[in-house]
Amino acid sequence: MPSRVFEDTVLPHLNAAFNYARWLTRKDEDAEDVVQDACVRAMRFFSSLRDDDARSWLFAIVRNTWYSRVTRRGAVNPLSLDMTDDPADSAPNPEARLLQQQTVARVRGALEQLPVEFREVLVLREIEGMSYKEIAAVVQVPIGTVMSRLARARDRLSAVLKSSPLAMERAR
Amino acid sequence: MICIELEQHLDSYLDHEIAADTAAVVREHLRTCFSCRQRVADREAVGRLVRSMPYYEAPDRLHMHVSTQVRRIRFTRHLFAWAAAAVFVVSVGGVISLVLPATGDDRTAGDVVDGHVRSLMAGHLFDVRSTDQHMVKPWFLGKLDFSPPVVDLASAGFPLVGGRLDYVSGRPVAALVYQRQQHTINVFISPTSSDRPNIGTWTLRGFQVRHWVRDRMSHWAVSDLNDIELSEFVAALRRM
Repeated sequence: MPSRVFEDTVLPHLNAAFNYARWLTRKDEDAEDVVQDACVRAMRFFSSLRDDDARSWLFAIVRNTWYSRVTRRGAVNPLSLDMTDDPADSAPNPEARLLQQQTVARVRGALEQLPVEFREVLVLREIEGMSYKEIAAVVQVPIGTVMSRLARARDRLSAVLKSSPLAMERAR
Repeated sequence: MICIELEQHLDSYLDHEIAADTAAVVREHLRTCFSCRQRVADREAVGRLVRSMPYYEAPDRLHMHVSTQVRRIRFTRHLFAWAAAAVFVVSVGGVISLVLPATGDDRTAGDVVDGHVRSLMAGHLFDVRSTDQHMVKPWFLGKLDFSPPVVDLASAGFPLVGGRLDYVSGRPVAALVYQRQQHTINVFISPTSSDRPNIGTWTLRGFQVRHWVRDRMSHWAVSDLNDIELSEFVAALRRM
């Protein structure tokens, strides 16, 4: 088992892993703990890394680590949050207005309000630029589920961003 | 394509996860449908907003922690690997010494099997035929320059049936004969200077051979008994 290769294969994705963990946990310290645990696990299971996609592989471990920590803590299952769709907001809403009104903080707040299942697919797709297939590997769901979650995540996010900025501020 | 249909392709179209021909149909529809163009633009705006989020960089502390842990795990692993290698070498050495003892023992084991076969073929199994150890033991007196231990193992299911003089590796030995149903067990006993107590095991030409030393007496047991029963016999004999 080439342990030297671990540094070259997995550690380059440490920043990305932290970013993903940060969006999962919404807290710096928690993200650090998760990534640290995940790296130890990754090292243990390094021989199970078959293909070249070390990033998806590491992300899947990060996700499992986070998930087992959250459920161990006795919190509600983070993945059993209300998944029903918001009623579709059909009012026309030009991109220009969105871009003008929303600050980074607001977008972040809106993202963090989303159920984690929606938040993570958006982060993996938009920030990490992962393909549906890669996302499916990380989240461990079929590609069709990735697709529908992304669609609903975008629907929800635009709905939140379009809602009153005041409500947004109160919610934070 | 109508607007409702575009709905289901909207995201895969934006994410370039759509078949080329479907993408062409979507493009054609967008060319002619203003409200769907708006929806696509809206969708793209949402994506851009998410992408505008600052990246959370892993703090230096985390980089350091992880590198340290990786080094530590590797060190421990190497340590284990070396320990395992050492254990492996030792155990293989042990197995080799059991399976491949001194070549002298191998030769003797062959001689022992020869002696066993000869005793059965020539019908010369006994010089003294008796199930009484107190008859067999004195019989060797004056015929050998040592007094072999003679015990009956009838209580363990291996009755003593007799004894004779034999030759193994060019020297006279005491041969004790035990019976287990239709199977004959020859035990060749001669003095030795060695006192290693461990049992040597051979399977030669379909015969099981065991060798052990007790009280400066070299014991060679040979039989066509199966491995387990012969081991049982040896254990019973060594207990006496």
